[in-house]
Amino acid sequence: VKASKDNFFTRNTNPLHLFVTSALIIPAYLFQDELLIRIAQVLLFAGLSTVAGKKIKWMYFVVMVTSITFFNLLSPMGRVLLSIGPFAVTGGALENGVMKGFTIVGLVFISLFSIRPDLKLPGRIGGLLVRLFYYFERIVETKRQRLEPRRLVASIDDILDSLYRPGQRQNPPSGAVQATTTAGAAFMGVAVCGNWALLLV
Amino acid sequence: MTDGRPPRTWERLDLIAFLGATCLFFATIEYLFPKPFPFFRLGLANLPVIISLKLFSPGYVLLLVLLKVLGQGLINGTLASYVFLFSLSGSFASAFTMLAAQRLFAERISLVGISVFGAIASNVVQIYLSVRFIFGLTAWIIAPPFITLGVISGFAVGLFAQKFWNESTWLGRIRESLEG
Repeated sequence: VKASKDNFFTRNTNPLHLFVTSALIIPAYLFQDELLIRIAQVLLFAGLSTVAGKKIKWMYFVVMVTSITFFNLLSPMGRVLLSIGPFAVTGGALENGVMKGFTIVGLVFISLFSIRPDLKLPGRIGGLLVRLFYYFERIVETKRQRLEPRRLVASIDDILDSLYRPGQRQNPPSGAVQATTTAGAAFMGVAVCGNWALLLV
Repeated sequence: MTDGRPPRTWERLDLIAFLGATCLFFATIEYLFPKPFPFFRLGLANLPVIISLKLFSPGYVLLLVLLKVLGQGLINGTLASYVFLFSLSGSFASAFTMLAAQRLFAERISLVGISVFGAIASNVVQIYLSVRFIFGLTAWIIAPPFITLGVISGFAVGLFAQKFWNESTWLGRIRESLEG
């Protein structure tokens, strides 16, 4: 999954508010027991992940759902729908497998649109993560220096030397955190209420 | 920049944050390599963790593992999904096993051996979780090829970690500064 930085969510939502939104959606999603609604929710979350700038590797998720369904079919349950030699495809196992596969993939999509690197975790760990991302951005920006396969260790040393020397502390810039706009708040309200309405109505 | 004094806590924590960033960097490089299976990982992101075993006390190593897992969860957006739990469990199982192997075998084990132990632990825990919570008992059939691939990748990552430990001048300076 690759992400682009400028999108509806980064412009209109505070990272913590978006995280709380996903926490409110997850129970409504998990308690949903209608397969078709579950699939529709997964497609919605996939769409939101795309809006969040995530380039989704669809084949990964197709393989995920297919393999979960396949392994569930190995434990027959319910009416036999189809027999392929000694292998019987049963209705209960098929429905269970598809439901489980989509549930897991949907949770990944919820996470993809709602978790951003600028989500600040509290305490000392949160502070260390800010430093970690600062260094990570600096490593990624080091495009002038390339890894040379013939002198791999030496070329890695060159890059590391330019980024970090023992005892020299570098302070990450303190950037302003995006506030939630009216559009962002409206999205959050619709997303939470919509998913709970699908469960309750 | 060593002046003979033992490094202060913030220097160690700053270095841990930097090593955490290199873990994320290696994780992004890993996408460049072809995968034999969709869920298979080479484990390049573990390189800094393996090297940290020789630099830091267990507490700092575990802190690095936590930062690596949280950093990957935030940057990939998987923090609120099963992927994070798998990564957290696999990474900590691997770290505890590598720490135990290092303590148990001391000078008789190289970074290659330690890395292989870590890879096996990570794979076993992740297969157990996928069998228990995702695929069901029948999925144990995938265990032998996955563990075999894990041993191969652990060996390769360990070989490079040992080479880097022996040859890196940057690491030499870091070691000097940590030893005071």
